Amino acid sequence: MPSPLDRVRSALMDEGLQEALLRAATNNQVKVESLLRERPELAEAARRARRAKDEAIGRLEELIDEAMRSLRAINAEPHYAETPEEAREAVARIVGSGKLVVMSKSMAAEEAGIREYLEELGNEVWETDLGQLLVQLEGGRPMHTIAPAVHMTRERALRLVNEKLGANLPEDAGIEEIAGAARRFLREKIVKADVGISGANALAADTGAIVLVENEGNIRLVTTASPIHIAVVPVDKIVPTLQDALTVAIAQAGYAGLYPPTYINVIAGPSSTADIEQVRVWGAQGPKELHVVLLDNGRLRARETPLRDQLRCIRCGRCQFECPVWVHTANNWGGPVYGGPMGLNWTAITWSMEEASKLAFLCLGCGRCDEACPVEIPLSRLIRWLKTQAHRPGRS
Amino acid sequence: MLDPKLVSDLVARYMRDTGLPVPAPKEALYRWAEPLRLPREGPRYLYTGGLYQLMPYIQAMVKYLEKMEEGRAGRLALGLAGRLAGLGGLAKAVARPDKGLVAYSESVLRGIAGHLRRAGVEYAYLYEDDLYSGVILHDLGLDEDFTRHANMVYRRLRERGVESVITVDPHTTHMLRSVYPKYVDGYSLEVKTYIELLDEAGYQAKSGGEAVIHDPCLYARFEGVVEQPRRLLSRSGVEAKEPRRSRRMTYCCGGPIEGLAPSLSKRIARIRMDELRRVSSRIVVMCPICYANLSSVAPEGVEVVDLALVLGEPGA
Ligand code: SF4
Repeated sequence: MPSPLDRVRSALMDEGLQEALLRAATNNQVKVESLLRERPELAEAARRARRAKDEAIGRLEELIDEAMRSLRAINAEPHYAETPEEAREAVARIVGSGKLVVMSKSMAAEEAGIREYLEELGNEVWETDLGQLLVQLEGGRPMHTIAPAVHMTRERALRLVNEKLGANLPEDAGIEEIAGAARRFLREKIVKADVGISGANALAADTGAIVLVENEGNIRLVTTASPIHIAVVPVDKIVPTLQDALTVAIAQAGYAGLYPPTYINVIAGPSSTADIEQVRVWGAQGPKELHVVLLDNGRLRARETPLRDQLRCIRCGRCQFECPVWVHTANNWGGPVYGGPMGLNWTAITWSMEEASKLAFLCLGCGRCDEACPVEIPLSRLIRWLKTQAHRPGRS
Repeated sequence: MLDPKLVSDLVARYMRDTGLPVPAPKEALYRWAEPLRLPREGPRYLYTGGLYQLMPYIQAMVKYLEKMEEGRAGRLALGLAGRLAGLGGLAKAVARPDKGLVAYSESVLRGIAGHLRRAGVEYAYLYEDDLYSGVILHDLGLDEDFTRHANMVYRRLRERGVESVITVDPHTTHMLRSVYPKYVDGYSLEVKTYIELLDEAGYQAKSGGEAVIHDPCLYARFEGVVEQPRRLLSRSGVEAKEPRRSRRMTYCCGGPIEGLAPSLSKRIARIRMDELRRVSSRIVVMCPICYANLSSVAPEGVEVVDLALVLGEPGA
């Protein structure tokens, strides 16, 4: 496997990638800037999100317990996983083998390597977010937290859907046609799927409700069409109340430049009906079972370090698009799941301090990410702290 | 890309031995002021922290390391065994910094000294006590070395009776104003940039024309130096123009990683250069790192100039 620094090096020599990133970043910068100017309520949502997240981090153990209780109370089944392996196992126990599984982009599921593991166990697994599907088809890694295929050109996407999905589109097929081919392919899978796996933007401890923001509509389908829905939720996504969870979703959409979001999903338990004799039974048009896998993977421990501030992150991805280094590297400057300013810190929390601290030396310390972050994470300060960790005895 | 560990070791070593991050002569820091005969005592002290003066030497070191990195032989010379052998060559290479860059840095500093005097700001100069701030140790995450160095610098300043300093670049300003207090017990120094002082004094230089402003990251985002240079320029008759990304959302020149990842650093500089020159072919900078990095990618006909020089020629 090439080292992260090797990946950065080849990214710098890939002119197509350079062009794609520059365009995406510039478009996003302009869009978010004008959104924030026109809608001051987004900055207000960000301020409230920050307060909610700070409170949650302060009493995380307690909120984890409360969330588990709330989930049980709405007939959902919580599972607690300290490590990625435990999360994989929990999901595998529910799914079994020989199943058709559809997923909507979840970075926590990436952390736990859930797709690969389920495939190993003999399941057919498909990503349904277009970008993430393209990443799956090319056997790559997500290159941005909300735009995983940000590195991909139309030509490359076309080749992938033709070669891997047998789409048979002509050479001059436009982006709309590519998306159409993916939709036709996925629609069939989604309808037939045995299990749908999602992530979450936030999980409300008071109610057990999960909130998911999206524009593609795939999350609604994945989380309702199959008899079983599994949500993989990292513990830092827990907030005290459903109001807080909605606030986080709004702020995330705004700072991602996707506002108003096309869909906000609130899921509080499996589907049910009480239409016959007012007796409630589970499993109506939506899933019959809802499982929530809570994943720690270093987060609770991170609270004892300066990285605690990173736990506020609402994954809007703005710090990546605004970073002068990320614009030339995408998530190649990062670990296996996360890259860029937020991604170095998340890599240190969830993957390897050693790797993250080496990558930190490419940070300019310019502070543009600090300025961009809706929840005021002092990203550049944390990344500088990662550098200090590289000098600790025993690290080469 | 250079090995950060290697660069860190090298810099830490020079810092421990000489107080400077590169093999440069000590006089390099105050030579610029010798013809000026500035007072040695006063209510405020000009503290340059040496960044302008060291830039030519740092550039020479980066070029040398880059060359070493390119060839396989270089890699060997910088390998563990050959590390010491490589250093002799480095010292020699750095001893011959670019003369143009040296002259430029010195003219900026003399320009600043002149503006302060004309604005009626009373100040003295530290000469041999104008020590390097240690900013590179902080940037490389070498906190132990940085703590030691910052405390030493602070002690020297206090022994000299300094209570108030005038800084001239964003990195040194950020160190003394926002970072030192976290590393030095009982720290107390008033820190102002010459830009803030000139602005407060209502200073008006004789200048003209137009220029696009490149805000340095640290001034704009961490030190609140944003409107002052704009006011100074407009009072002095310079029409200040804004690039797409300016003020608190200014865009980095790429300079801080020049020593570790030169090609990435250049790419960043080129993006910024394109953005700036679209607005004006005269680019105002306020930092020696911005100057070095942006001017290295400036096409024909585009001029990168320090604020101190835009405000008028040095004639202290
Ligand atoms: S660190 Fe801040 S800007 Fe970056 S993804 Fe997280 S919330 Fe968004």
